[in-house]
Amino acid sequence: MPTAVVLVLLALTVVFIAVIIARPEVTIARGGKILAFLALFVLPVFAGFTGLENHINRSQQTTFCLSCHVMDDYGKSLLVDDASYIPAAHYQNNRVPRAEACYTCHTDYTLYSGAVKAKLRGLHHLYAQYIGKPSHPVHLYAPYNNRECLHCHLGARSFEQGAVHTADPQTMADIKSNKLSCVSSGCHDMVHNVSQLDHQKLWKPVQ
Amino acid sequence: MKENHFMAKKLRTSGLLIIAGLLVEALSLAWNHPLSFVAFLGLGGLLLAAGILVYLWALVTTASPSETSSAKSREANASTE
Repeated sequence: MPTAVVLVLLALTVVFIAVIIARPEVTIARGGKILAFLALFVLPVFAGFTGLENHINRSQQTTFCLSCHVMDDYGKSLLVDDASYIPAAHYQNNRVPRAEACYTCHTDYTLYSGAVKAKLRGLHHLYAQYIGKPSHPVHLYAPYNNRECLHCHLGARSFEQGAVHTADPQTMADIKSNKLSCVSSGCHDMVHNVSQLDHQKLWKPVQ
Repeated sequence: MKENHFMAKKLRTSGLLIIAGLLVEALSLAWNHPLSFVAFLGLGGLLLAAGILVYLWALVTTASPSETSSAKSREANASTE
């Protein structure tokens, strides 16, 4: 739900509640009781859920991920002027939506994987950012899952008929079952490589 | 009368808590940052939940007018007997 709609809903709820606060005696009548139930239960619960949905959608935005200082270099790595950098090539050529570039390739990250442990990791990131000391460079908690590549590339001609992918029937099976990582050494292994950024020319997006 | 006053007080408390929660939610939506998400959940969610609980608590602890009148009539019957 768009933020403007959520804000209108919040304003409407506040107006109803203000009526209850100013004239609580209206709740003696049946209509007033219904109004109180709507204003003090139904609408706040609904407003809470729409707000949560809105926040989760916003947290998938690239600007949200890059709002933490520790992610600055990862944001820069999307602009490297070198097609062998996988994230840069995807970002610059619109192979992933630029506004949600991080989330598109990291759908299992913290909040989105569903597990309680993952939510706690998200809180730990906040702790590390504002109170502790974030590790540099940051590392994924689990090896990169091929699923992140295959949700777009699976079925694509370049993937299914790629010379290296089909050289041995076992290779394709291992890629699809995540036994052989797409980002293995010698394959698509130029990922963010933030330690090499100082030597790289950066691309300036057309405004 | 006393019951109505009690209910009105609870409704006002509940309403003020919910309005505070909704204001926190509105402010958090104006800021796209991980801390705004934490403020929304930790502060806004807490205030909203507290307000709703106060309202529900008022509903279950305040006797309805029909219950009050029947209790009075029971008391009156007991005193005449």
